Amino acid sequence: MTAQLATRPARAAAPAAVRRRRWSPEKLLHFGVFAAPGLLVYGCFVLLPILVSVGYSLTNYNPFNPDTEFVGLRNYKLLFTDEEFLTSLRVTTVLTVILVVAPNVAGLLIALLLDKKGPFYNAWRAVFFIPVVLSSVVVSVVWTRLLADDGAINQVLGWAGIGSVGWLSEPGIALYSLAWIMAWQMLGFCVVVYLAGLQSVPQELYEAASIDGAGALARFRNVTWPLVAPALTINTVVMLITAFKAYDHIQVITNGGPGTGTTATVAFVVLQTGFTANRQGYASAMALVMLVIIATASALALKLLRRREVEL
Amino acid sequence: MSHTRRSALAVALGALLAVGGCTVGDDTTDSGSGGGAEITFLTFETPNLTPQYWDAAIKRITDKHTDIRVKKLVAPSADRTGYAKQLLASGQFPDVMLAVSPAEIGAATNLYAWQPGELGEFLEPTGGAIDGKVYQLPTNTQTIPNVYYRKSMFTEAGITAPPTTYAELLDASAKLKAKGHTPFVVGGGKEAFPSVLPLTATVATEVYRQRKDWMDKRRAGDVTFTDPAFVKALSLVRDLSTQGYIDRKMISLDYAATEQAFLKGRGAMYPMGSWFAAAGDKSDIKADIGVFAWPTADGAPLLPAYTGGGLEVSAKSKNLEAAKKFALAFQLDKDNLDNSVRSDALFPAIKGYSPPAGLGPVFTATYELWQKHVAGKSIVKAFSWETGSDSLLPGMTAKVYAATQDVILGKATPEKAAERLDTEWSKAA
Repeated sequence: MTAQLATRPARAAAPAAVRRRRWSPEKLLHFGVFAAPGLLVYGCFVLLPILVSVGYSLTNYNPFNPDTEFVGLRNYKLLFTDEEFLTSLRVTTVLTVILVVAPNVAGLLIALLLDKKGPFYNAWRAVFFIPVVLSSVVVSVVWTRLLADDGAINQVLGWAGIGSVGWLSEPGIALYSLAWIMAWQMLGFCVVVYLAGLQSVPQELYEAASIDGAGALARFRNVTWPLVAPALTINTVVMLITAFKAYDHIQVITNGGPGTGTTATVAFVVLQTGFTANRQGYASAMALVMLVIIATASALALKLLRRREVEL
Repeated sequence: MSHTRRSALAVALGALLAVGGCTVGDDTTDSGSGGGAEITFLTFETPNLTPQYWDAAIKRITDKHTDIRVKKLVAPSADRTGYAKQLLASGQFPDVMLAVSPAEIGAATNLYAWQPGELGEFLEPTGGAIDGKVYQLPTNTQTIPNVYYRKSMFTEAGITAPPTTYAELLDASAKLKAKGHTPFVVGGGKEAFPSVLPLTATVATEVYRQRKDWMDKRRAGDVTFTDPAFVKALSLVRDLSTQGYIDRKMISLDYAATEQAFLKGRGAMYPMGSWFAAAGDKSDIKADIGVFAWPTADGAPLLPAYTGGGLEVSAKSKNLEAAKKFALAFQLDKDNLDNSVRSDALFPAIKGYSPPAGLGPVFTATYELWQKHVAGKSIVKAFSWETGSDSLLPGMTAKVYAATQDVILGKATPEKAAERLDTEWSKAA
C-alpha cells in the first residue's frame, strides 16, 4: 500500500441558503455576545493604536515640540532616501533569513533525533526548550559575556592557538553573532513544534512505506516531510515575525553597533527615532512600513507554505 | 466560598495584577517618615553609584527634612534620559531626577527653571543654561577626558614623563606597542560612550581650542561637521586605530568591562572622565595610576570639562515646593558632596567647598590637574557632554558615538562619518 497524501482540498462553496442562515438574528446575537469582548480588546489595543499611528505618521509630531504640523506623505517619501532606515531594512532582512532558515533546519534535525520515548529523550527536550522560556535580556547578558573580547569563547580559541575573534566588535561579524544568539534561543521552540508535528504522523504510514520498500530517506521525503508541513508553516511565520520585531537582544548586546547601524533592525531604529530623537511622527511612518512588510511577508509565507500542507 | 465572593476575589486579583503591571520600576525604595509630602526621585546606578550610596544620600536629607518622603526610582540602565522620557510619556514623570539631559526632555515645558536667587551657592550659576534659563542644578564639574596611565608600563617602555605634545603622545604609544602593551583602552559596548572619549579630546584640541563657541555656531548652522577642523579631529582618532594604538576588539566592552580592562593591565592609557578616579582609588593599583591632559600639537595646556550634572525638578510636580527643597538640600549638603567626591570623584562646583582630607592619589592627581587648568584658564567644553543650549540636538549623541566607532573600526572614513553626522543633524533639527 502506498501512502496516499492529498494536498489540502479547496473549501467547497457553501450553498447560498446556508450562507443566509449563518447571519440570522439569532446567529448574529450569539456572534455578538461571544465575539464582542475579543473584538473590543482587539479594537482598543490593536486597531486603535494602528489608526493613531497612521495619524501621527502624517505629522511631524514631537512630544517636546508644541507645534505639530500636518506633513502629508512627506515622512514616507523621506523613508526611502533615509540611509539609516534602508540600512536597517538590510540588517533586518539578513537577520530574518538566518532566523527563518537556521532554527528550522536545526530544529527539524533535532526533533527527528528526539522523536522517541523515554526519560532520556524527555530530558533532552527540556534542555532544548529552556532557552525559549528564559528572558531575552538574561540570554543576551550571558552571551555578551561569552562572546566578549576576553570572554570564554575567545579564551578557548586562544588556547587552541586560533586567536581571539571580535564577535561583537567587528562590523562584519557582529550581526551574525547576534543572529546566532537569537537562533540559539528560538531553536527550542522549533524543536517542540516539529516534535508535535512528528508525533501526529500515524505510524501506519511509516509501516506501509517500509513494506513498500522505502528506506529512511524515502520515508522522510514521502511521509515525514509532507506531514510536518504545518509545523514548518508555524515555525517559519513565527521566526519571520520574531526577526522583524528584534529589539531587546540588540539593545542589550550591541545597542545597534558597533558603529553606525551595523546591527540596528527596523524595530530598533523605530524606537531610537521615536524615543531618543523624539521624532515620533517619522518613527510612526517607519513602524507602519514595518507593519506592512511583516504582514505581507507573513501572508506570502502562509500562502506558499500552506499549499504544500497535506490532509490525511 | 460563594460564587459572588469567588467572583469578587477574582476581580480583585485581576485588578491587583493590572495595577502591579502598571507600577513604575520594580526597584523602588521609600525613605522618610510616614507623614509629609511624598516625592519621587529618579536615580541611576553605576559601579561608583551603588544602591547603598543613593539610599544613604536620600536618608541624610529626609532625616533633616522630616516633612519630605522620597520614593527612589532607579533607571534600568545608565540611560536615565531615555527612561525619564518613558516615564513622562506614561504620565509618571518623577518629581526630582538626576542628570537627565534637559535639552532632550523638553526642559521649557517639563522642568522647573531655577531662579537666580536659588542658585546663589553655585560657582557657575548659569552653567548648562538653555535660552538663559537653568533647569539643572550646576552642581559638579567633571573633566572629560583625562588620560589615566599605568606608570609601570610607561617606565617599562622607557617613557620618563607624561607626554606634553601630541607628537610625544604618539611616540609614547609607539614605545608602549613595541613593548607589547596596547597603548589605549577604548571600549564601547551597549553604552557606547566609552568610544567617544578620544574624540572629545581631539575635538577639544582641534576645534574648541580655536572656537570655544563651536557648538553654538553648529546650532546656528554657521559651521558643519564636515569642516576641516572637525574632520581632522575624527582623523586623529582613526589614525590611533590604524596604527594599532587602539585595540578594535575592545569596542565590544561595555563601560564596566572597559574600566576593568584598564585596571587589569590590558592597556597602558585610558581616556576617561574624572569619575574614573573613584574606581582607580578603590583598586589595588592606585599607586601605579597617573593622569595627564590629552596633549595639544604645540604643547599648550588644554583640558575639556563640563559643569552641570545636578538635580532637576519636574515643573508639574504635585509637590513642587517639597521637590525644590529636597533637590537644593541634596545638592548643598556637605556630607552628600563629600560622598559624591569619594564615590564618584565629582568636583563640587559649590562656593566655599573644598574636598575632604584623605582622598586617594588618583583623585588628588585628577583634581590638581583640573585646578592647574582652571588657574591657567585653559578649560574648554567637553564635546558631546554639553547639556545646555550648546548641546547636541536630541538623538545626536548616539550618532556621534556611532561615528567615532565607525572611524575606529574602519567602517567609515572621517570625511564620510562627518558627512553622515551632518545628515543626521539636518534630520534632527
